[in-house]
Amino acid sequence: MSVERLHYLGVLVACVLVTLPLEFLFGARVWRRPVRMLRAVAPVALVFLVWDVWATRRGTWWFDEHQTLGLVVPGGLPVEELAFFVVIPVCALLTLEAVRNVRRGTTPLQRWWAER
Amino acid sequence: MREYPVLAGLSVVVVLALELAWMRTGLLARRAYWSTMVIVYAFMVPVDGWLTRLNDPVVSYRPDRVSGWRPIWDILAEEYLYAFSLLTAVLLLWERQAS
Repeated sequence: MSVERLHYLGVLVACVLVTLPLEFLFGARVWRRPVRMLRAVAPVALVFLVWDVWATRRGTWWFDEHQTLGLVVPGGLPVEELAFFVVIPVCALLTLEAVRNVRRGTTPLQRWWAER
Repeated sequence: MREYPVLAGLSVVVVLALELAWMRTGLLARRAYWSTMVIVYAFMVPVDGWLTRLNDPVVSYRPDRVSGWRPIWDILAEEYLYAFSLLTAVLLLWERQAS
């Protein structure tokens, strides 16, 4: 398997890794509130996935088979698309909570800095 | 029909209507929301720019179904509308659950 096939997945993994500090150092607690997170992410993902399946079937857009794993889900979408509709919104949630915590001065990072 | 920009624009209207008429979280009036959107859009440029780069795109578009306007790198302008709807909808549903 070529590295190229990991392109789409790789971008999503990078997004998760880059934003992980927000969860812990900035106390976002999004991954650690999975029910609230899924209740926010799932309904929106459902709507956008329906749109995505429809547009993909119509040929409005398509995904490069060389840059995806090749795993296709019912509907014809690459599995990476499913991951996209979880990862990207979670990044936004992490950002929102991190921004709030920074402004309130309640992040673990700020606490550590104050007590160092 | 320029399907993608039309639906993307429509999705923005739908999300705003859902907030104004139903959810009423007040999130869009908060500075934290707008700070979040600025940060997220800043990251969107390299990420989406890479996914939709024209020389070897991960995602490709049928030319007559999109605007064709790619002001920043190769990112279609309507992608920013799509992102607004996707992210704002999730942020609103998150906010709505705040105790």
